[in-house]
Amino acid sequence: MERSTFEPTIIGFLCNWCTYAGADLAGTSRIQYPPNIRIIRMMCSGSLDPTYVLKVLLEGADGVLIGGCHPGECHYISGNLKARRRVAILKSVLQDAGLEPERVWLRWISASEGAYFAETVREMVDHIRALGPNPLKLEWAV
Amino acid sequence: MSRSFSVGQLKGLEVSEAIRRFLGTLLESGAVRAVLVPKHTPATNMVTQALVTDREKLDGADPLAPVQMINAAHAVRELAKEPLEQNEGKIATVLRPCEVRAVIELVKLKQILPDSLYLIGYDCPGVYEVMQYRDRVEAVGDADEVRVEVLERFAEAAADPEADLRVACQLCTYFTADSADLSLSWIGADDQSLLLNVLSEKGEQLTQALQGAVGLEEVGEAPERTEQIKAVRARRLKAQDEEQEDLLSALAPCIRCYNCREVCPICYCKECLLVPAKMGYSSERYLRRAQKKGQIKMPVDTVLYHLTKMNHMASSCVACGLCEQACPMDIPLGRIYSRVGRHVQALFDYVPGRSLEEELPVTTFKEEELPQVEDIKR
Repeated sequence: MERSTFEPTIIGFLCNWCTYAGADLAGTSRIQYPPNIRIIRMMCSGSLDPTYVLKVLLEGADGVLIGGCHPGECHYISGNLKARRRVAILKSVLQDAGLEPERVWLRWISASEGAYFAETVREMVDHIRALGPNPLKLEWAV
Repeated sequence: MSRSFSVGQLKGLEVSEAIRRFLGTLLESGAVRAVLVPKHTPATNMVTQALVTDREKLDGADPLAPVQMINAAHAVRELAKEPLEQNEGKIATVLRPCEVRAVIELVKLKQILPDSLYLIGYDCPGVYEVMQYRDRVEAVGDADEVRVEVLERFAEAAADPEADLRVACQLCTYFTADSADLSLSWIGADDQSLLLNVLSEKGEQLTQALQGAVGLEEVGEAPERTEQIKAVRARRLKAQDEEQEDLLSALAPCIRCYNCREVCPICYCKECLLVPAKMGYSSERYLRRAQKKGQIKMPVDTVLYHLTKMNHMASSCVACGLCEQACPMDIPLGRIYSRVGRHVQALFDYVPGRSLEEELPVTTFKEEELPQVEDIKR
């Protein structure tokens, strides 16, 4: 099968306490993962306003990874569970707007899960590559 | 809690006259300090919200006039944003169902203090767009006749008896004010008589205060009413299902004038993330943004504006359709926002304004829920 040469751009909004530390661990452990992700550190997945996800999608990012602590392990007790509701709303709005909700992923990755972080990025890059480029990349009138 | 009464004092009166009389009694008996109610301004053929303290000024008060300039929740917010200095006497706010529901959402959003209010709702027959209402009154020559026309059509079983009303009203399935303190109902009542429905503790208190003055007689649920509500609801649910045009192309004419935000009863933020100061860029930055795709639309971020607004308020959207009425570009925002709202609300089995007890979806959570959010295949 012919391999697509399309390289997706993925924006990662990662919580400071878990997923960002997990990404750090992947790095210090020398675990290889695709360089397609651009990471933005947040204090908490619950502090991510959906507008930032929408903005990067409208600007043409191919995928967005939102990373938070596992349920029950949020540094701020329940920010991640509120984030889950916001992501549910966001995906519903994207669906109604005819955009692709599957470009937005929510994953719980702890500070000790460097390997799982690397695995998630690999999985996501493969999935988005199969999905193809974000059609909004070419859409200027939005 | 729900009990219905027929009101002796109001028997045989035309519905609007009965409501006026009832409000007059509220003021006269001292049960309330003021009444907030839609009122005709005959010289200009308009109907506007009025805060009335003098019983004599209730002439022309007409909640059933088929026009809605603002969602009255805006006015209620002004009247109940802080505790009143004089603690005696509450304000009776006479509200359409979509206004009752917006008030309840604003109470939950901590923008309205409900203690000084009675929410008095009523069966709503729907409204015209403002300018169409005025044209209609001018054409018919009599505002009362325009109202009666709309009331009579409500019960008709014709395929599309409301086609000239506002779209939001044609699609509305919450046309009875079930979450008010009291409601005044006419749907399904024989000889047009008005029923008083007591729906809360507060409503009970107010009713007891009136008992002597108006003559109340408890009545059972009228099967005609239940039937009629069911039929209208079914017709409108079907209309809601109809195909929607592509959302991005529907939003294309947006000029980001913010009208839809200004009239939205749910958009209350003092500092909005979406104002130009936040969304605007330095001149250099526009150029850099243009360089990314080689070109950029101006004004920028019209779609971002709407999609963000939806994320922020759709879980509380009461589908009043005022956004559509305010849109200078005739974007069908009422249809768009109510559809997006319905889908978001369904995720949490939430109905905005159904109950004060239900928490806002975005301020609460369950430990285990929404597995589909973590399943990337959806």
